[in-house]
Amino acid sequence: MSEFLHFSEHRLQEFALVLMALVYTVRILWLLSYKAGGERQAPTGPGATTPAKGVLYSWANIAMPWGMESTRRRPLLYAQFVIFHLGVTAAIALSFLIPYGSGERPGLPGGDAVVWLFQGLIGAALVVGIIRLVRRVGSPYMRAISSPDDYFSLVLLTVWFFFAVLAAPNQYAGGEWHLLGFFILTAFFLVYVPFSKISHYLYYPFTRYYLGKSMGYRGVYPPRRG
Amino acid sequence: MSGKRSRSHKAQKVLERMAQKLNRQMVGSLVACVHCGMCTDSCHYVLANPGDPTYAPAYKADKIRKLFKRHFDWTGRVFPWWVKAGSVFTDEELEELKDTVFGKCTNCRRCSLNCPMGVDLATLNRMARGLLVSVGVMPEGVAVVSKDQWEIGNQMGVLKEDYLETLEWMAEELQEELDDPEVSIPIDKNDCEVVYSINPREVKYDPRSISDAAKIFHFAGESWTMPSECWDMTNFGLFSGDDDLGGSVARRLYEKVSELRGRKLVISECGHGYRSTRCEGPNWARLDVPFEMESSVITMLRYIREGRIRVDKTRNTDSVTFHDSCNNARSCGLFEEPRELLSLVVTDFREMHPNRAENYCCTGGGGAMSMSEYTPRRLKSAKIKADQLKATGAKVVVTSCHNCVDGLTDLIRHYKLDMEVTQLVNLVANALVVPKKAPVPAEVPVKVPVGVPAEVPVAVAAEEALPLTGRTIVVADDEPDQVTLLATILEDNGATVFTASNGDEALDLVHRHRPDLLTLDLAMPGRSPGEVFELIRRNTDLEHLKICVITGRPELRKVIYDRSVAPPEGYLDKPVSEEKLLRNVRKVLELAHEDG
Repeated sequence: MSEFLHFSEHRLQEFALVLMALVYTVRILWLLSYKAGGERQAPTGPGATTPAKGVLYSWANIAMPWGMESTRRRPLLYAQFVIFHLGVTAAIALSFLIPYGSGERPGLPGGDAVVWLFQGLIGAALVVGIIRLVRRVGSPYMRAISSPDDYFSLVLLTVWFFFAVLAAPNQYAGGEWHLLGFFILTAFFLVYVPFSKISHYLYYPFTRYYLGKSMGYRGVYPPRRG
Repeated sequence: MSGKRSRSHKAQKVLERMAQKLNRQMVGSLVACVHCGMCTDSCHYVLANPGDPTYAPAYKADKIRKLFKRHFDWTGRVFPWWVKAGSVFTDEELEELKDTVFGKCTNCRRCSLNCPMGVDLATLNRMARGLLVSVGVMPEGVAVVSKDQWEIGNQMGVLKEDYLETLEWMAEELQEELDDPEVSIPIDKNDCEVVYSINPREVKYDPRSISDAAKIFHFAGESWTMPSECWDMTNFGLFSGDDDLGGSVARRLYEKVSELRGRKLVISECGHGYRSTRCEGPNWARLDVPFEMESSVITMLRYIREGRIRVDKTRNTDSVTFHDSCNNARSCGLFEEPRELLSLVVTDFREMHPNRAENYCCTGGGGAMSMSEYTPRRLKSAKIKADQLKATGAKVVVTSCHNCVDGLTDLIRHYKLDMEVTQLVNLVANALVVPKKAPVPAEVPVKVPVGVPAEVPVAVAAEEALPLTGRTIVVADDEPDQVTLLATILEDNGATVFTASNGDEALDLVHRHRPDLLTLDLAMPGRSPGEVFELIRRNTDLEHLKICVITGRPELRKVIYDRSVAPPEGYLDKPVSEEKLLRNVRKVLELAHEDG
């Protein structure tokens, strides 16, 4: 591989990762600098609900599509969410596997089966990314609530998935542009994320923790439906 | 750059105070939204206004979020256009924000429970309301109610003497009903097990709920009392976002209970009252409350479970459904106990769907009933609830919230549903199995006087059957059916009735006949009823005349209550039942307090 590709796969990623970690640390400290509201009153609701149960339920919410009316009524949207995020996970895993798992040789450990698995997951996420773009542009509700960051983040990830699908076989004998594209985009993604809405996964544990704690304390979580 | 643009004093204050209001939960909700749109369909405003994205929860939240991003968040500070961050500069922009946070959201929290990220829009919306209120930007109804609660001590400006008179009247009615002079509504009694606090709406519009509760406490053998002051468990601070008001109101009630050394504060059926008093008040007031607090729903259920009262569900045979108040269900987890109680006091219960924490808002919450300028919008959004109610096929909708009673009554009338609204306390009181000892003393006077008493009971019965004998009443309403209904009821009870179909006729009749009472509709052709009302009030020759407003359009109350004359003695929402009409007419004419 060329020196530039090697630099992109290693130093550039490492720098971007460290930068992202630093910025995220600052971000979490900033969030924690705000005082958390408390509950002075005695708990309400049935005795079986507790803050701890509420927190666990709230955290697990994303894996329970039956838990919220919004996901129950729109299973396709939920399926898209799952596929998209599995694709993100796979693409991130790929950005580590290629430089550190392949021993600086072409291909991936585990051979073609692993390549197809990654391509399948990321390819499906790519399709979902396009569907989401169409939805965001086509729905008046989505347009009304979308900012340039919303559009750009989705385009960025969708294009990144495209390069990830091509980069998954980790073959550079016929050219390196797909791998370079993937790793440069990954580095850009890592630096951009803390400043964009993509960083939502950083806040998820906190927002769901506090909502779950309060709802559990007040007997609303876990919910009961008749 | 926008920083160089001048900002109004109010806008500046809003931004400064925002910094003081932010806590970790709010900041989390402000930064975590990914604009996925999953909250959109959970909102009744969205469902009732298809194609209008300005009602979408995320859109409404962004009106607040953009300020946070612009002034507190890094990307928004450096590249505001990239993340749709924005500031506020003018009072006009504050008015636009007011329209969103007060007029397009009832803080029902349905979107919060449908957000994958756990963004709590209702909390953000309340924060925004509080910021606007702090600079005097708010709907007029919010200002009026807040003022009443600050200055008079309750949301509806009920004076102490009116409150105490109502309790006394209800106690007397109960004594008469049960033929038991021992029944009472104890006031300011120390060291009781229960201190019972109510919603001022019960004093003004629904005093029967007070006597129903008193009956239940009596037969449960409860040691209980009601405070003479600081008795209002409602809290407009929840709706206005004013934590100072919220804390002050809550503290007054807590201190009164402590002063009376009550062991437990029982809160009558009110969603926002229960939430404010039971859950939020200690946090607003920064006070650890040393006594227990519970909803009267839980109290009544406990009485039945413990055998302290017995109920017969066959006394409530109408088909009923249950509406979960947002504040009770989504913020306090109170949704199983009402259902358990209902299963004990009604024979035909029909669940509505969705229910419990997923139920739809009645659309009257969040202070909406006090904001008459948003009534058309509110009633349009109520279509969702109306469809829910209709689908149950029930004749009665039960709710444990006075705001919901008003909201549901309004939408039932607007969508012409054949339903009534009631509360659990009414059903429990109606189902109450009264112990047998009460009827025995009533038989004794009949047996002892053998000859003469054959005449006396008839004369006594004649007087009791015609309680309005000697009274002259003018009924003013432009709906012929309504006039016939009211006139017939009043005449059947002994009154002399004259009817008017417009304001000028009403004025003519009161001048000619000098009645004791005028019932006044607020929507009549010709001279404005508000003007009629004020003319009567300002006429010293008519100072004896009592006025009871009877209207099907509560949003018109402004035309009466905004006038700088004494308010009417009575107020009733249509449709009016015979029992409610007579009770209120008797109260207005103070018949229960007459010596002769």
